Amino acid sequence: MRSVFTRAALPLLGAMLVAARAATQQTDPRLERLDAATRPAVLALVDSARRDLLPTEPLVQRALEGATKRASGDLIVAAVRRLAVDLGHARHALGSTASPAELSAGAAALRAGASQTTLAELRHVRGEPLIVPLAVLADLVASGVPVDSAAAAVLSLARRARDADLVEFRRAVERDIALGAPPAAATAAAATWTAQSVDVNAGARPQRPGRP
Amino acid sequence: MFDPVDDVIERIARHLRRPVHIDPALDGRVMREITELPTPGGATALGKAWRWLRRPHQVTLTPLGGLAAAAGLALVVLLSRMDPTAPAASRAESRAFQFVLVAPRATHISLVGDFNDWDATRTPMHRTGSEALWTAVVPLEPGRYHYAFFVDGSRWLADPSAPLARDEDYGAPSSVLTVGGGGS
Amino acid sequence: MGIHSVGTSDAALVRRVQTGDTGAYAGLVARYRDRLGRYALHMLGNREDAEEVLQDAFVRAYRSLARCDDPERFGAWLYGILVNRCRTAGARAARRARRFVHDPTALETAPLAGPDGRTEWDDTVRWALARLPSESREAFLLKHVEELEYEDMARLTGAGISALKMRVKRAREQLQAMLKEAERV
Repeated sequence: MRSVFTRAALPLLGAMLVAARAATQQTDPRLERLDAATRPAVLALVDSARRDLLPTEPLVQRALEGATKRASGDLIVAAVRRLAVDLGHARHALGSTASPAELSAGAAALRAGASQTTLAELRHVRGEPLIVPLAVLADLVASGVPVDSAAAAVLSLARRARDADLVEFRRAVERDIALGAPPAAATAAAATWTAQSVDVNAGARPQRPGRP
Repeated sequence: MFDPVDDVIERIARHLRRPVHIDPALDGRVMREITELPTPGGATALGKAWRWLRRPHQVTLTPLGGLAAAAGLALVVLLSRMDPTAPAASRAESRAFQFVLVAPRATHISLVGDFNDWDATRTPMHRTGSEALWTAVVPLEPGRYHYAFFVDGSRWLADPSAPLARDEDYGAPSSVLTVGGGGS
Repeated sequence: MGIHSVGTSDAALVRRVQTGDTGAYAGLVARYRDRLGRYALHMLGNREDAEEVLQDAFVRAYRSLARCDDPERFGAWLYGILVNRCRTAGARAARRARRFVHDPTALETAPLAGPDGRTEWDDTVRWALARLPSESREAFLLKHVEELEYEDMARLTGAGISALKMRVKRAREQLQAMLKEAERV
């Protein structure tokens, strides 16, 4: 009886799984923009990410970007695969409660060269969402700041600085680099001033009205 | 009263009164900084910003001829939080951002990015007032967005005043905009 | 006051910004960039500091726009912010110098202070201006370069008219002396 049941149920179960997978892979009509050769590979990557509980929207957008920019199928698949791997590493570092936006920012930071340890430390020291600190880290590295310097600076500020302070810190670094300062020195100096500014603002006096 | 006999002082003053030209890229840096700030007008700005978004809008500016030779000056301007009557899914944390590009010789520009599925037809930019100025407004939730300007159907342009997307896989430049939560 | 606006009025642009049209602020920035940049450049002596202070002033003005009581006089109000920022910029510039002075590569790559394409007369004027005490330089620039009335200068600087007249007088005397000294070389 049991063997009969199994013999009947397994093929049915297999068919159901195949149908479910096919349905999942075909739910996003946007990916119809990919050519017929590229689409299955990207769909498989997206599906795999979904099963791993990773955000799929960044993967879809990366594929769509490639399609719009007329990149080859190989490039698109490679880019989507790379991002999926980075998202997985970001989730490993930031924890399962990380939001999709944090994972995307974390993936960008990892791609820029930050370590998973740095991301984990950021999570440990900062109670607020990490979107902006991670983005600032990635942007600093994109501006030429050595990743170790960028990571040290962001970590030093992450505990107390607000998102707006971190954005201002990044702008200060970019401004000083544009003025000719070495990136590492600019980063260290701006981090010092931002930290002091955070401390001052914590006990700031109200400004005189009319004279900002 | 200024002493007309004082030739030295007048020479100095005349010399110092000569026009000084500051790099017009400063405009973009200013506009980028203020995107992080709340509208200075206060509570009434919300409804007025929403009404602004829903109708064509003209911005009259002094000529920006100094920018004409550049590839483009792009400004991303935070307008306001979305109207509270918007659907709940988009209402929660969306803010309206205005993208501005100076491109006097372009005939058609699209804003393309993660926020519109990289669909070059979805967000055409519009000339506003000045012949050189193109704008588009997009509501964005907190997150990190890649975007670029697609000029005249053939050329991709990154935002010169925004960080470049480092994870660029396709050979054409893109920029990054990070939208934080809680007012940043 | 020696600050005029053309085209769409400052007040109209300010009101648009205050009601959510942030893009209108770009018009105000473009309108005042060069004029205020001239003051900042002469006050601080180098373009990089001037641009940084100018940018800071524009951002502060935006942040405080609700406190601009008379949008018709936005230019003058903005001027006051810039004068204030220039006063504190000297200290900031000194701190920046201290940040990088111990890094030899920073000195090699740092931009040269001062404008490009200078004539000898330009060098002489800038040299003399830089040697003035900052209060005197500020007063001289506002009076003889920006051509403001003493009443307006008093509002911008917070100093009394008598004090301002004295500073202008001292600046003129010192500049005269320095320029005559330079001509003897």
